[in-house]
Amino acid sequence: MSEPRVRMEQVSRRFGAVTALDELTLDIPPGELLTLLGPSGCGKTTLLRIIAGFERPSSGRIRIDGADVTSVPANRRPTNLVFQRPTLFPHLDVLGNVAFGMQVARVGKAEQRRKVAEALALVRLEGYERRRSHELSGGQMQRVALARALVNRPAVLLLDEPLSALDLKIRLEMEVELRRVHRETGATFVYVTHDQREAMALSDRIVVMDRGRVEQVGTPAEVYRRPSSVFAASFVGDANVLPVDVLEADATSALVGLGSHRRRVEARDAARGPAWLVLRPEAVRVAGAPADVGGDAPAGLVRDAAFRGTGFTYRIELTGLGVELKAETPPSSVHAVGDRVTVEWDASACWLLPRGGEDEAATPA
Amino acid sequence: MSGGRRSPLAGTFTLVGLVFLWAPLALMALFSLHATASLSFPFEGFSTRWYAQVLDSPEVRSAARNSLIVASATAVGTLVLGTLAAYGLTRSRSRLRGPLTLLFFLPITLPGLFLGVAMLVGFRRAGLSLSLLTVTIAHLVYVFPFFFMVARAALARLDPALEEMAMDLGADRFTTFRRVTLPQVWPVLVGAACLAFALSFDEFVITFFVIGPDSTLPLYVWSSLRRTIDPSINAISTLLLLFTTLLFAITVLLASWGERRRKGRTAEAPLGLVPAAVERAG
Repeated sequence: MSEPRVRMEQVSRRFGAVTALDELTLDIPPGELLTLLGPSGCGKTTLLRIIAGFERPSSGRIRIDGADVTSVPANRRPTNLVFQRPTLFPHLDVLGNVAFGMQVARVGKAEQRRKVAEALALVRLEGYERRRSHELSGGQMQRVALARALVNRPAVLLLDEPLSALDLKIRLEMEVELRRVHRETGATFVYVTHDQREAMALSDRIVVMDRGRVEQVGTPAEVYRRPSSVFAASFVGDANVLPVDVLEADATSALVGLGSHRRRVEARDAARGPAWLVLRPEAVRVAGAPADVGGDAPAGLVRDAAFRGTGFTYRIELTGLGVELKAETPPSSVHAVGDRVTVEWDASACWLLPRGGEDEAATPA
Repeated sequence: MSGGRRSPLAGTFTLVGLVFLWAPLALMALFSLHATASLSFPFEGFSTRWYAQVLDSPEVRSAARNSLIVASATAVGTLVLGTLAAYGLTRSRSRLRGPLTLLFFLPITLPGLFLGVAMLVGFRRAGLSLSLLTVTIAHLVYVFPFFFMVARAALARLDPALEEMAMDLGADRFTTFRRVTLPQVWPVLVGAACLAFALSFDEFVITFFVIGPDSTLPLYVWSSLRRTIDPSINAISTLLLLFTTLLFAITVLLASWGERRRKGRTAEAPLGLVPAAVERAG
């Protein structure tokens, strides 16, 4: 494997008694769009600022293309940053903003103009050179900020929740634009967000972070289908996390007990004993009239029903189990609040996680 | 506020206040144009002879030149020192930041008399003979808090993310200050330097203690008042008033223009403290 673009070696950052980053180790290969995903305070922004050079780690090292940059200040690192809020220099027009890095580096005027035009074409703002920031919309300002960063051909482009200040509609458009820009430039992107939907839509790989630690690293599909912890399961996408007992297990499946019900689920080398069953809401099927089925399907009571366009979202209280199950069904599955129903799911849609004493603190709400 | 009839009392008070403020100044200006040497009514016709006399007087010219030298040196000195102090303190993460800022502000509360005596004692102790240099140093001490207040407010209003952005794009600290910080605040800083100039140009009490053999315009006015009273005093005072009013106008205009430029749209003048400074200087 080729050398990683960015390598973090046991990076820690403490602010007084607070540990923002705890011995974090991570490699980012060139050309990857990597997302740091986690709730606020998980250390993702601190990590980004450490890569950018605005913060020094309390311990550990940062390498970019093999070179140790741990003590190199921000202005001498091959990284560029796009902030959460659009931060254009208000006294300069778009040309002055995008050309700023090249002016500091004393690039010739003609080359500056050519590269600015290229960068603006990349973000679809051709001919905007003479506009000033107050003449631009929020989305356009972030595009200029993106052009201003990319025009310097950084080894790593760092994006700190760049879409969070924008309206939902603009945000969705900008996601498409970001994917396109990433494809066209082949640059390495490190993207910080707390929005799991955004992370899934954009990333090659997702790093799920919690309390200064890496919970899981994987492709969006891996993280979604095979979360490594209850935290990752409930943070990335909606998940039902049910307490079950593994009764039998082999290499590819397990028989679990949920109350008095028995279900065979796919699992890898599950251990016998208590476990969490992770079940995505869209994998749950809801059927009416439990008397007709007569099988072992768990029965429940519809507590809430909401139409969401592509179907219904139900909250179903499972009889005798004291848990509420979230189900997202197609529009053909119509049930009213108060209806008695049964629920069913595919063995392949499930995922098992160990449930030990130390995990009790992480019990999902 | 509910819209209703305006109280006639409020209007009256406003009018009385304005008359008290402006009537003496108007009378001073009026009699500077008097055709005779009398400073009281009846008014006996207009003439510019007192202005001509004042502008021809070698003493007035020398005092005016001294005032300009001292005020210019004070303004430039304050601009440099005050900007450095304000920039350093707004960007500092030190725990001493609060106390130090207060220390820079606090001299604004010192009475001129106190400052004058203290400076005089200080200069004597230091073995400095009184000259325009000592006046300039004393004026620096006097106007510094006014400048510092304005400069600190302007620098604190800047978005720190912009300076980080410049560093991220490869600029070192100095380049960041020159290309990002300064372009956003220089109108306010130059405006505040005009304020410093005006404060120094008008200053009397402190100057009186530390001046030595030279004279400045306010001192000249005071000493000629002790000799004779004729409209030439009014002429000088009117000129002084017009000049400092012009400087204050430049201060306010620069500040509001700078703020507009920084925000990219219209904004109100940020100089809430100009009136206080005017009051103090008057």
